[in-house]
Amino acid sequence: MSYTFFPGCSLDGAAKDYHRSTLAVAAKLGLEMPELKDWICCGSTAAHSSDPLLADALPAKSLSAAGGATVAVACAACYSRLKTANHHIAGDAALRARVAHVVGRDYDGRTPVLHLLEILCRDIGLKRVAAAIRRPLSGLKVACYYGCLLSRPPEITNFDDPENPTLMDQLLEAAGATPLAWPHKTECCGASFSITDSSVVLELGNRILSMAQAAGADCIATACPLCQLNLDLRQRDMERRFGCRYNLPVFYFTQLLGLAMGCRPDELSLDSLIVEPKALLEAKGIGR
Amino acid sequence: MTGGIAPPIEIESIGGGLAFEVKERSGASPMSCYQCAKCSSGCPVAAGGDFRPHQLVRMVQTEQRQAVLSSIFIWQCTSCQTCTTRCPQQVDIAGMIDALRAISRGEGSAAPGTAVPVFNDIFLDAVRERGRIFELGLMAKYKLRTKRLFEDAGKAPMMLRKGKLPLYAPRVGGKDEREALFGRAAEGGDQ
Repeated sequence: MSYTFFPGCSLDGAAKDYHRSTLAVAAKLGLEMPELKDWICCGSTAAHSSDPLLADALPAKSLSAAGGATVAVACAACYSRLKTANHHIAGDAALRARVAHVVGRDYDGRTPVLHLLEILCRDIGLKRVAAAIRRPLSGLKVACYYGCLLSRPPEITNFDDPENPTLMDQLLEAAGATPLAWPHKTECCGASFSITDSSVVLELGNRILSMAQAAGADCIATACPLCQLNLDLRQRDMERRFGCRYNLPVFYFTQLLGLAMGCRPDELSLDSLIVEPKALLEAKGIGR
Repeated sequence: MTGGIAPPIEIESIGGGLAFEVKERSGASPMSCYQCAKCSSGCPVAAGGDFRPHQLVRMVQTEQRQAVLSSIFIWQCTSCQTCTTRCPQQVDIAGMIDALRAISRGEGSAAPGTAVPVFNDIFLDAVRERGRIFELGLMAKYKLRTKRLFEDAGKAPMMLRKGKLPLYAPRVGGKDEREALFGRAAEGGDQ
């Protein structure tokens, strides 16, 4: 199978660390995914809450240029928008015609879209991932946090169990970590309310962090730029507002995988994390 | 019936105008709701709004148009899709709320006190202009437009220090093409 990578806007901005660590892990696995040429923004929540046609047309424009390759996505929001547009366009001939008129070329809604977690677990396979592990994450208890948009709604994303996804757990287990059973894997972090009303993010993020802490987590692993940013950048604010102490590093799962595969910390942009992971990694003897 | 679950009821045609409009715009079927309130149970922001999701669906069914379109809740929804995923009647409640937001804005009914519509406009303008989002520029524009200059003032320097806020603005070619795409979308995509 050939892949083309749709990084999305965040991976060239606040989630540059996700971008860098994704490419580092892909290189370790021999996974080739050249960037999709001239991709444009998926439209995100702004498009689907303003104009449903635009929300389908923006992804269609990018997806119609994939030339038969499977589109690999890292951002959960992009993933959701691309798959939703596919679902709409492939299932409705009249809409397909309208989208074709808007975009300026016909698109059938059938370019395959997969998240990195799906590609690593199912296409590459856990055996090959395990074979690439050089420094297992032994003793690291990880709360795998999937957020909303990878698994919901399941008719559209067809990702994993919508209430209890396990793809990230399986990957990190293959890397030697101990993924935890915990109930907030798919609770919402407040997403873009980080900008329009950060009190929402403090409230929702605090519930997630307190549950991870109660489950005994050493750290959190994420697969979405907004999930990571909200739980990391605003963790100190949550601690202050709710009078608690978490000090939970919030990694991208690719950073943890990369560490286990022997990547250098700078290849994974570990220094861009706000909650410092250094003490934890040293205490667990990880990355040495 | 000999076992099995009956298919969802499609009764928009006998519902009020708002239910029909929601169905036309989003495909969501609010008339199928039987008020089990499972949507509200799982909603992360139900506690803070003026109405909860199942109440909003009921109000759409009963054509309480102005109350629905001026509700602050439709702007507090995080689009997390929990309601849509769990609804036993397959009502796409998150899709319904998207449709309500669009109708509300179209009629000038958006509740005061939400900054979401302004943010959405700035975001989409940026996509039309550059093709991709430049976060620093987006934040600056939003802060100027909403006059929230000092909110989160410490966050940008921290992100800059951590290399999370690049100063370089991405741009893809094809601006004329994008302008045309946005224009045709606004016209409804009819030829």
